[in-house]
Amino acid sequence: MSLRTRIATRWRALVARAREEQELDEELHFHLEMEMAARLRAGMTPAAARRTALRDFGGLERYKEECRDARGVSLLDAGVADLRGAWRSLRNSPAFTSVVVLTLALGIGATTAIFTVVNAVLLRPLPYAEAGRLVMLWENDRNSGTTREPASVPDYFDFRTRTHVFSHLAALQPRPLSFTPSAPGADAVQLNGAAVTHGFLATLGVSPRLGRSFRPDEDVPGAPAVALISERLWHSRFTSAPDIIGRSIVLGDSTRTVIGVLPDGIELPGMPPGFASLQRDVDVWVPLAATPVSSPRENHTIVVVGRLRDGVSPAAAQRELAALAATLEVEHPRENRARGVFVEPLPASLVRGIRPALAVLLAASALVLLIACANAANLLLARAVTRRREVAVRLALGAGMRRLAQQLFAEGLLLSMAAATLGVGIAALGLRALLALAPASIPRLAHVAIDPRVLGMALGIAVLVSMTFGLLPLVMARRLDVQDALRSAGGRGGSAAPAQQRFRNALVVAEVALSVVLVIGAGLLIRSVWSLRGVDPGFQAAGLLRLQYQLPASRYPQSMATFPHWPRLSAFHQELIRRVEAMPGVESASVSANDPLEAGFTNSFLIVGREAEAEHQAEIYIRSVSPSYFRTAGVALRRGRLLSDQDDASAPAVLLINEAGARKYFPHGDAVGQQLRFWGQARRIVGVVADEKFEGPGAETPPAVYPPLWQVPLPAVSLLVRTRSDPMGVLPQVRAVTRDLDPQVALYGVTTMDDALSQSIGKQRFTMRLLGAFAMLALLLAMIGVHGTLSYAVTQRSREMGIRMALGAQRSAVHFMILRQGMLLSLLGIAAGVVGALAATRLLRSLLYGLTATDFVTYVAVSTIIAVVSALASVLPARRATGIDPAVTLRAE
Amino acid sequence: MATSNADVLQGTLDLLILKALSLEPMHGWGVAQRIQQISRAVLQVNQGSLYPALRRLEDRGWIAAKWGTSENNRRARYYRLTSTGRAQLQQETESWERFMLAVQRVLRAQPV
Repeated sequence: MSLRTRIATRWRALVARAREEQELDEELHFHLEMEMAARLRAGMTPAAARRTALRDFGGLERYKEECRDARGVSLLDAGVADLRGAWRSLRNSPAFTSVVVLTLALGIGATTAIFTVVNAVLLRPLPYAEAGRLVMLWENDRNSGTTREPASVPDYFDFRTRTHVFSHLAALQPRPLSFTPSAPGADAVQLNGAAVTHGFLATLGVSPRLGRSFRPDEDVPGAPAVALISERLWHSRFTSAPDIIGRSIVLGDSTRTVIGVLPDGIELPGMPPGFASLQRDVDVWVPLAATPVSSPRENHTIVVVGRLRDGVSPAAAQRELAALAATLEVEHPRENRARGVFVEPLPASLVRGIRPALAVLLAASALVLLIACANAANLLLARAVTRRREVAVRLALGAGMRRLAQQLFAEGLLLSMAAATLGVGIAALGLRALLALAPASIPRLAHVAIDPRVLGMALGIAVLVSMTFGLLPLVMARRLDVQDALRSAGGRGGSAAPAQQRFRNALVVAEVALSVVLVIGAGLLIRSVWSLRGVDPGFQAAGLLRLQYQLPASRYPQSMATFPHWPRLSAFHQELIRRVEAMPGVESASVSANDPLEAGFTNSFLIVGREAEAEHQAEIYIRSVSPSYFRTAGVALRRGRLLSDQDDASAPAVLLINEAGARKYFPHGDAVGQQLRFWGQARRIVGVVADEKFEGPGAETPPAVYPPLWQVPLPAVSLLVRTRSDPMGVLPQVRAVTRDLDPQVALYGVTTMDDALSQSIGKQRFTMRLLGAFAMLALLLAMIGVHGTLSYAVTQRSREMGIRMALGAQRSAVHFMILRQGMLLSLLGIAAGVVGALAATRLLRSLLYGLTATDFVTYVAVSTIIAVVSALASVLPARRATGIDPAVTLRAE
Repeated sequence: MATSNADVLQGTLDLLILKALSLEPMHGWGVAQRIQQISRAVLQVNQGSLYPALRRLEDRGWIAAKWGTSENNRRARYYRLTSTGRAQLQQETESWERFMLAVQRVLRAQPV
């Protein structure tokens, strides 16, 4: 047959399929008729003629099938026919179809949304060449027990010159810079900046989009001022002008020449407090211009990133750096006492901190998917049982086992494809909700989108599920005794085989158990977040506004030679406080190194008279504040006195200590009057103040001291404003006052402390909300499972119950029988779930606060709730059972 | 399209159908009756495999079908041999005879 005829045949077969089908039918019937007529002529009775003709002919359906096969169009045809058959069959039971599709879609949607986030945060690689060779070089302090501290500049130069494991090494530090747009009247904006050594880009393996990187001769003190800007800034502030290279821009207090544009997406995850701005979205880079003597060895001001030489493992680098650190301890006993080095692969630092929460959510979404699949399997199984008669009839009529399996498979495929489509839609919505809820502390969420990999996963789940669905009824059909099924099937009266019923019950028990695990996990987190919210943060957050600003050294001299006499700097702070406090609606204002929730920096110190102890003392937090700070932030005085405006640069050096510090270093309550020495000066403790939870509400407050800002002045500070009503209401006035004082000073980091407080437990709240949503979903699905199984059992046993009631059984007894079955399944599920939760909630441990993962109250409460809910889910089917009219049921048989 | 020789029975049925149709066009039931009648009821056509075979032969272009009216005034599908079918019948008949001859020779072989 030529290609043309072949195509024509197929075309005909496809287009005229219906006609062809009908012709075939007619032809076969004609044959049967002729056959019967012949037998009648031979003397048979009409009935016998018909019976024998049919018998001799064999299964009509199968021959039609074979005729179609002979056409050579069967495969495609059969596929289409299967799908159409499946569609018809699903359309005939809309309730079943919608519940299965919705159930699966919710499971797929939840898993896809979470997987999308996990993919973006954990799996998407860093945008650097051979990122596996990149490491962070942290210093650590055995006295404080810290593991990831910034390094000092001299240490960095020692790392550079005295090790052999790195091909590149670079240092950087945050350098926020105000940028004054050239347009007249435009407000100065604060840019997220970084000061870097010239090898920074080579270390990361990043090339500029335009222009070039820093040259070594630009990274020395006194070199011409240059800068690199981000692509983002180039687009937003410079209209993507191609002649940006070589332009001069005003950054902070100097004019710099732009030498290049860097691609967006440079990120350094896992930065310590105070360095967080380096993690991502840096807009401007300037040379650090450091020398081995430009900064003292005790000042830990830079983070160090290195690229390992090819073939050098992080462990080998760790060994070499540890040896060097030990040498430095000997060489610099004062500055480097108890200091070590920790080499951490950059990819590992990517997800530190957020990994436990994401792992919990991923596990939770997998559980939801599992419950959804169990539910769908359960429903399909129930349907397969009720369809035994249909299957039996079709087999008896000669339908091939393979075709039957194909059609069941097609049904599963159709269901799961519908579920996958809907599921991806749900995932997109869920993802949007997720991003809206996600705290800022989760890195790399900016560019999350459902990517092909995630979509592939959703489809994979769908196909897997459809295969399972295809197989379950097939297994049953194979076991099916046609005769038996037909005989017992006076209607749908035949009850399911005990093995199937047991399997379905097991599925429901598993569903309940899994949902118990999820609900207990959510319960634990909810209780944790409650306890966290109940923690006294040590300050009054309500009505408190925070802003940040920085004073450039050019106009506000800050020479170390005259420290702490920086009159212009202190005058600005004082004048700003005075003017803000004069505003209506403002109770007080203060300027401080940190806001009450910021940890700030630490320094080593001596207790005068107890110098020998210093060797084993951890560093102490130094929180420089204006005297109005305690009134403004609402930090209570415990003993002694607060700071006053008289404690200025020329007065005797004083400070306050927090209760944690007083307790630790002066356990006999004699802190007031003692002297601490740091930065070359002894400072007398004049008072003890309450502990601010500046490391987060879940953490113990570490020891801290509060020197007056006039004695320890700082250029980069937080302005706190206590208002009588809405904190944001005074913002325009504060901006106006600042502009009035100095138009080039940019205000940034504006937030209410209420918001900041919520943000500080953002991770727990995010995890709690999501896990809560998953738990609700799981519970709902499990209850659909309980309800569905019981309803089905009622339908299956309606005859039995009709007989029972006809024989005089009380309605209440029947009611109780169904309820008991439901409760039995639920209680088994709850018991299994509690055991599972005891094992699974260990994953949650790092997210809990104020209770353990085996919290008795949560377990009891959740078990009770689920028992009650499943009783409710059992009531409806039970009521249906009692509504059975014996006469009707028995007549139906 | 290559014809498989492996399925002797199927090939035989095809040959018989072609031969029957070479006598005159007829409908499916007629083909079965005719084969039965000529073979003096030795060859019973499995009626269920008849129609798939007819469809197959039609697909190969050896026979053609059209609707007509039967002896008892019913609409029936009549098949006739096409010219390619006639050539095919010729060829198949020869190869069948060769095959039969070969089998006969083997069966009549004497010990040497």
